[in-house]
Amino acid sequence: MTQRISKYQRLKMMNPILQFFRFIYLSIKILIVVAGGHGGTRNIKSSTSSS
Amino acid sequence: MAKIVVLGAGISGHVAASHLRRKLPKEHQVMVVSPNSNYQWIPSNIWVGIGRMKSKQILFPLAPLYKKKHIGFKQAKAVTFHPEGDVTENKPYVLVEGVVGDSKGKQEKVTYDYLINATGPKLNFEATEGLIPGTNSTYSVCTYTHADHAWEGLSALIADMKKGKKAKILIGTGHAKATCQGAAFEYILNVEQELRRHKVRDMAEVTWISNEYQLGDFGMDGMLLSYGDMTMKSHEMVEMIFEDRDIKWILGAGVQKIENGIAHYENLDGEKKSETYDFAMLIPSFSGHGFKAFDKNNKDITDKLFKGFMIVDANYSPKPYEEWSVQDWPETYQNPSYKNIFAPGIAFAPPHSISKPRKSKNGTEIFPAPPRTGMPSGITAKLVADNIIDTIKSGKEQLHHKGSMGNMGAACIASAGFGMTSGSGVSITTYPIVPDYEKYPKTQGRQLGKTFGEIGLAGHWLKLALHYAFIYKAKMKPFWWLIPE
Repeated sequence: MTQRISKYQRLKMMNPILQFFRFIYLSIKILIVVAGGHGGTRNIKSSTSSS
Repeated sequence: MAKIVVLGAGISGHVAASHLRRKLPKEHQVMVVSPNSNYQWIPSNIWVGIGRMKSKQILFPLAPLYKKKHIGFKQAKAVTFHPEGDVTENKPYVLVEGVVGDSKGKQEKVTYDYLINATGPKLNFEATEGLIPGTNSTYSVCTYTHADHAWEGLSALIADMKKGKKAKILIGTGHAKATCQGAAFEYILNVEQELRRHKVRDMAEVTWISNEYQLGDFGMDGMLLSYGDMTMKSHEMVEMIFEDRDIKWILGAGVQKIENGIAHYENLDGEKKSETYDFAMLIPSFSGHGFKAFDKNNKDITDKLFKGFMIVDANYSPKPYEEWSVQDWPETYQNPSYKNIFAPGIAFAPPHSISKPRKSKNGTEIFPAPPRTGMPSGITAKLVADNIIDTIKSGKEQLHHKGSMGNMGAACIASAGFGMTSGSGVSITTYPIVPDYEKYPKTQGRQLGKTFGEIGLAGHWLKLALHYAFIYKAKMKPFWWLIPE
């Protein structure tokens, strides 16, 4: 076994208070990526629209 | 009055039916035909497979919901497609066969004005000799019943380990061209965490086996992603996680045969090898359902509708890997021969793989097929529904809603362990799903920032929140449509 994630990193990954703020941040960021619209690729100027 | 028939009640079929019903006046008929009586939220099967959720928590019966929402429902399976009708039936129809009760085995013609084929994939276990869920110590988490069996097998093994038995656990893909590496990735991390929770981790050797050329390929050719302040490749991130959790890996492996406790595979060097195990969860290859189609005179026209999966507005002309383009991918999921037939979700035939195709020295193709997870399935189903709604309302064909996987983001919230304070998740978003090397030439076809990875407890909470949100949405509870696909 090779410890690739340091104890400090792990502490941050599992700290409920820090992770609560990461949860809010991630939720918004994912919403922006996913709900931020989608469209075609063949005629990008006229077809980019969210459905 | 228009009649829209939706084949399949998985994520794609259910999303399409829900939006059609909400937006179309009641004089138009929406009917769902599915052999399954329940809706299941497949991403949570992982937790059923480790005994941390009961299967009843991830499913609900469809018939009462559809009755309440005025959506027709027929528990039957599609048999043949007749897009021109036949000599006795003028309207296009699908021949379906009942699967329960008095209608079991009885065939009937279900006519339609618009058809949405959301039949998803066939879980092609037969393509790998001996790969049968629940036998030969191999399991699957592709359905909730499979996941229940997997937990039975795993819990028995954990009990044996507590008595001192050393065990080998093998998780990954069970075919040279399997897809859905993400589900196997989630499962291996969850199993590893459960072994630690039961204090038997030191009794087990946990191994990942996959047809990927590199870790973190996920059928999407891997990705360059933002990770904290750094930019790293997905294989580096997965390698970091696996090494940290003492998970070994075998790559470029096309599993060809399963015997009780032995997986035989060929690798990209052409070597025939085998790996022993006490418990294995191997994802099968996916295939089309083998549907046939006939014209008005009963002539076979299957090649107009199907190429394994359903033919849609993609560019299927064969060409070398170097000439593949993001523009090859479909935008409206409409069949080019029959404009009133659509195939969103996993039911459409992809123009080519996303991962680079590779062959072993013996000529065996070993590389992942393209993944099409819940999020793109839902998005493509909604845009198909919206185009049909616009067409019905305007009286002429409308295809304004487009959604190519080359211009669409996806989030993969991979559970890495269950628990409100001890759980973990690997959150990865990708934009676009199919890399666009012209638009993003320096970042492996994807937009950095929108393609990122994150590991931690928040990922577990996020996956759990999505579980409850999407089941709420699927049950069509108040304001369900505000939750995006």
